Amino acid sequence: MRCVFALCRGIGALPRPVYGERAGVRGRVLLFIAALVALALAAGDAHAALQETPFFAKDVAAGKLPPVVQRIPKEPALAELERFGKPGGDLRMLMASPKDVRLMVVYGYARLVDYTPGLAIVPDILLGVDQQEGRIFTLHLRPGHKWSDGQPFTSEDFRYWFEDIANNSDLSPSGLPLQMLVDGQPPKFEVLDETTVRFTWDKPNPLFLPALAGPDPLFIYAPAHYLKQFHQKYADPQKLADMVKDAGTHNWAALHAKKDVPYKNDDPKFPTLDPWVLKTKLPADRIVFERNPYYYRVDGAGHQLPYLDRVVFTIADSQIIPAKTGAGESDLQARYLRFDDYTFLKAGDSAGDYHVRLWRTGPGSQLALYPNLNVNDDAWRALMRDVRFRRALSLAIDRHEINQALYFGLAIEGQNTVLPQSPLYRTAYRSDWSKYDIDQANALLDQVGLTKKDADGMRLLPDGRPCAITVEDSGESSEKSDVLELIRDSWRRIGVQLYSKPAQLTLFRRRVFSGEALMSMDKGIENGLATAAMSPSEFAPTSQQQLEWPEWGEYVETKGQSGEPPDLPEAKQLLDLYNQWLAATDAGDQEKIWHQMLAIWSDQVFSMGTVAGVLQPVVVNDRLRNVPTDGMFNWDPGAQFGIYKPDGFWFAEPGGGSTAQATPAER
Amino acid sequence: MLGYIVHRILIMIPTLIVISIAIFTIIHLPPGDYFSTYIAQLQSSGEHADLQKIAFLKAQYGFDLPLWKQYLLWVTGLLRGDMGYSFLYDMPVNKVVGDRLLLTFLVSVATIIFTYVVAFPIGVYSAVRQYSLGDYVLTFVGFLGLATPSFLLALVLVYFAHVWFGISVGGLMDPNYMNQSWSMGKAGSVLAHIWIPVIVIGTAGTASMIRRLRANLLDELQKQYVVTARAKGLHPLKVLLKYPLRMALNPFISDIGSLLPQVISGAVIVSVVMSLPTTGPMLLDALRSQDMYLAGSFLMFMSFLTVIGVFISDLALATLDPRIRLQSGRRQ
Amino acid sequence: MTDITLDPADRRPTPGEDSGALPHYVSPVPFDPMSVEAMTVGQARYSQASQWRLMWWRLLRHRVAVVCGFLLLAFYATTLVSEFLAPYALDTRNTDFIYAPPQKVHIFENGSLVAPYVEGYDYRLDMNNLKRVYTANAAKHETLRFFCGGDKYLFWGYIPMRFHLVCPSEGGQLFLLGTDRLGRDLLSRIIYGARISLTVGLIGVSVSFTLGILIGGIAGYYGGWTDILIQRGIEVVQSFPHLPLWMALGAILPVTWSPLLIYFGITLILGMIEWTHLARAVRSKLLSLREEDFCTAAVLMGATPARIIGRHLLPSFMSHLIASATLVIPSMILGETALSFLGLGLRAPITSWGVLLSESQNISVVALYPWLMLPVVPVIVTVLAFNFFGDGLRDAADPYH
Repeated sequence: MRCVFALCRGIGALPRPVYGERAGVRGRVLLFIAALVALALAAGDAHAALQETPFFAKDVAAGKLPPVVQRIPKEPALAELERFGKPGGDLRMLMASPKDVRLMVVYGYARLVDYTPGLAIVPDILLGVDQQEGRIFTLHLRPGHKWSDGQPFTSEDFRYWFEDIANNSDLSPSGLPLQMLVDGQPPKFEVLDETTVRFTWDKPNPLFLPALAGPDPLFIYAPAHYLKQFHQKYADPQKLADMVKDAGTHNWAALHAKKDVPYKNDDPKFPTLDPWVLKTKLPADRIVFERNPYYYRVDGAGHQLPYLDRVVFTIADSQIIPAKTGAGESDLQARYLRFDDYTFLKAGDSAGDYHVRLWRTGPGSQLALYPNLNVNDDAWRALMRDVRFRRALSLAIDRHEINQALYFGLAIEGQNTVLPQSPLYRTAYRSDWSKYDIDQANALLDQVGLTKKDADGMRLLPDGRPCAITVEDSGESSEKSDVLELIRDSWRRIGVQLYSKPAQLTLFRRRVFSGEALMSMDKGIENGLATAAMSPSEFAPTSQQQLEWPEWGEYVETKGQSGEPPDLPEAKQLLDLYNQWLAATDAGDQEKIWHQMLAIWSDQVFSMGTVAGVLQPVVVNDRLRNVPTDGMFNWDPGAQFGIYKPDGFWFAEPGGGSTAQATPAER
Repeated sequence: MLGYIVHRILIMIPTLIVISIAIFTIIHLPPGDYFSTYIAQLQSSGEHADLQKIAFLKAQYGFDLPLWKQYLLWVTGLLRGDMGYSFLYDMPVNKVVGDRLLLTFLVSVATIIFTYVVAFPIGVYSAVRQYSLGDYVLTFVGFLGLATPSFLLALVLVYFAHVWFGISVGGLMDPNYMNQSWSMGKAGSVLAHIWIPVIVIGTAGTASMIRRLRANLLDELQKQYVVTARAKGLHPLKVLLKYPLRMALNPFISDIGSLLPQVISGAVIVSVVMSLPTTGPMLLDALRSQDMYLAGSFLMFMSFLTVIGVFISDLALATLDPRIRLQSGRRQ
Repeated sequence: MTDITLDPADRRPTPGEDSGALPHYVSPVPFDPMSVEAMTVGQARYSQASQWRLMWWRLLRHRVAVVCGFLLLAFYATTLVSEFLAPYALDTRNTDFIYAPPQKVHIFENGSLVAPYVEGYDYRLDMNNLKRVYTANAAKHETLRFFCGGDKYLFWGYIPMRFHLVCPSEGGQLFLLGTDRLGRDLLSRIIYGARISLTVGLIGVSVSFTLGILIGGIAGYYGGWTDILIQRGIEVVQSFPHLPLWMALGAILPVTWSPLLIYFGITLILGMIEWTHLARAVRSKLLSLREEDFCTAAVLMGATPARIIGRHLLPSFMSHLIASATLVIPSMILGETALSFLGLGLRAPITSWGVLLSESQNISVVALYPWLMLPVVPVIVTVLAFNFFGDGLRDAADPYH
């Protein structure tokens, strides 16, 4: 009986999903199934008798830290784990730059709301979120939740951020972040009590929650108790002036900006809510993070998470990381490993104490070609805007050959759009205009009017210039030049010449934005696993960063101050649909809009995808548990390892992944 | 002698000034600057660049000032010992360079010692037993080191060191010893790791040193006084060591000046391949991301080292060779 | 009186007696008073030989240098007919034979001599390890063809031809040095790469040469303040670390330039850094030589400085200069490989040895596909050959030896 009681309480302590009024029956059924599954997996009870974390046992006994029951919130978050684990161990990872300390924030993935592996949004730091009409968000914090330095995490931290950072003209001269504005209007912010805040907009803001759940998220809170000493409004003027001089910054605003580093994560003194806290003073080549004593998640079997005591980043040159990983110097590595390295890593698999898994990647296409619809040259611009020209070029790409030659045939051929794993997927989206068909491509080019040919059979533009497209890229990987080589040969069969021009990154982007580059090659759609609730901004002209229409994107981004308005009817249509999505209140509406956008996108071939779903090698130490065998390695959504919650990873025998003793000198 | 020293010192100053102007120009030649590169990198990987924080940094370090003012700011800072601020590492350059400098010195000094130790006997042997089989073989081996591109050699050696000796790939010590104070274990680990970079960097300089020593010694051995000494029955070894060798040491000392930049420069590529925590990879990163202060100050420092090195070698040469003192110029 | 007995051998011979000594010989040839001064044919040639001829003869005595010289000549000759020598055209790729290991050429079959052939590959994709497995199949007997029609190419970029020295058998493959990640034959790429890598050195050294002679000549001839200024300038350039200079200069090459222009830009950059050694040598030689009588005579006759430098001074040590120049070329070749490795020099789609090496710069290649590192062999051989040849030239050119 007691069990059932505990079970019920356990279910009650499960995070309440966000859907609120909009979920309807579907959401509740999902919740029920989730609960059953949770029961089947690890039926944990948040309030099960907590054992002290061995790492802190000494400090607690000496009185330096309060006991674990007082460190966690009154209602801690319950982790859903494959298996319960044991605390202890050091996780070693290899990174290429000291700036990669920000990845601890990404991998730790302590967010107000999280994406689950199923890409639903659930509260994580928050106890719950109430949504009304998609525009009124009431956030409930966990009572007793503390920062990593032991100070309480309350609504004051949200107020400080909203009023004293985001709305302070010195600290944020450009105003609130874009995701906080709807039609340019800021929200109304209220503090209801110590653990409740509310944001209210006039119209729905569907970008708000996904922004909170992102890999580099929107931070709407800040450690007020720590940052107030750097703020003009709260600090003693003389002390502040002294600190400004000592730090060598321009003024107090620059000092505050320097100290406020929730994402940059390079200051050991900055309080966080992450599972592992930076302990090493930078710069260093070996960076140690130790567990956060005040972390808010428990496993339900009596342990405060995370299981791993420490995470150690070793900085090495990115070229040598595959070699080092193959030598067993990393316990969990995916970043800086490429698909090509799999053969080498697998060869060392049996000898070493690690094994390699292959996870899927999320982009809509590994590499895609982006015709620049805003190119300066008139003749080319007319051609680029002709949908038949783009379709012909896309039909002439032999995706099967690319797949076989570079990816062992394991990738998914098709257009640069959502992947089969996305609920929005339809076969036509990927397969339209992407099956290799030279005859049809030739016919289309003839229709466009490129019938003049030179002595070698290469087509000529109406004004006599050769139909030669220079594809520019940022030149970092040989993968790009390899794919371009393959495409060059197949385009030759339709009489189009291809020249490849790698350039340094800033130069490359500048040339695209200024209209000098004719066509560029870059990664495909970032979010190939989109759901209807996620923003379709990548499919409409919304940002200057989009390589296919930088001017139109700039126009929308700067709200008409620079750039040009979209003048292609289909692009205008996409923009309208995007605005409709922003204003939509119903999940069904959102889905309909998505499908309309995806259909136009595929039909118009605004970018030419090659292959997608390239597998990502993930090296995992043999003793590391709770790491999924099949997973998705994606930046947004996914935070690479984030959605699998590394705080639940553990080593089968504690002692860590390295044989040497970690010294306390790292503090 | 004093006049010679003063003369050389006076010449060093304008040299350094010209070098600083050259460095400043070269760093600013490529279009763009650190911030635009950084922002572009973030955006291309899908992350958001905090433009506000970047604007603060820009204003703080005077990136909106005209170029000549930036130059003066930098140079006056250098004279005070303030090497500026590194945006790549987000802290003063002095702090960034710190520990790496010591390791760079270590590697450079070890390489120079290796070069001398290997080149000396081979050069002497080649000169004394000219055209013998041993001469050809040894010179060939020396040249082999010169001819192989260092980065390839480094990668291959690293791989085999791991496969045969189990030494951890890359780096100058086992990862556990990083950030720790020096101890016997740490020193031992460094020694075990340092031989690969030393061999790879040192072999290139060895060949040219062997050649110089051999040529000079051959010239000396044909001179009249050697023939006389031999005719008078002096022991052959004494004939060799007492006089010709001293003359042949000339290139060793005069070469320090050119050896130093070569070692540091050659060390860059090898350090990058092997991921050594020396200044090489740091310099490469700084140049790539156009981190002006870090790259510029460090280049200035390296040039300064070279100029000082040349000066010292000139002094040593002058002490060694009275002809130079008298002529007040370097023998070409 | 008794005669003191003497040893018969000590007795002075009486006149007319045959004492066993050499017969007295008188030559019937008329007396020639100039006979001592006359030279043999060989000596005559030697004394009338020009400086260059003397140098050539001295060079021939260095057998190693001669061998290296021929080797280099052969290398450069291949750059003229690269398309003919390579089994495949530059762009040919075969996606069925990616990362194929080198094939061995057999000339014996079952103990008897046959036409050279290779054993064809059976190809299997190991999906477990994601590895391509190639096994040589003795049953697939692919005889090589010589002087055959193979891949189409444009000879020197203009004349379409199909003529190759050696081709694979019809429908077969010939990967003497294996293939790379796109299935391109490595041997063909090395042969084409030789064109770029070898000529980079030549063009770069001519830039260095010109700069060195110009600047060193001015410094050496005028002396005084010009000399001091130029010397300091040389010191500045020499003490500057090469690498960042390359990086910065490589970064400012406009991206709009065609690959050919970038290639010339790179050679220019390399040349601009190496001229200091030559300038120094020229300067020191000129400093000593300008005090010579022939130079004074030329000045008195009213020759301009340019004519004196160019016509009188330089030729006297041109041989030495050429030797020095030859020794600069290998550092240019190595410089090009280093730049390509750093991604600053030439890049795909241009093929040079440096580009080939930079493509082999990862652990997968070292561990699994080591044949891709073979381009280092021609680099080493070329650099060594230049070094030995240059040494031989310098020894031959040195008039004091």
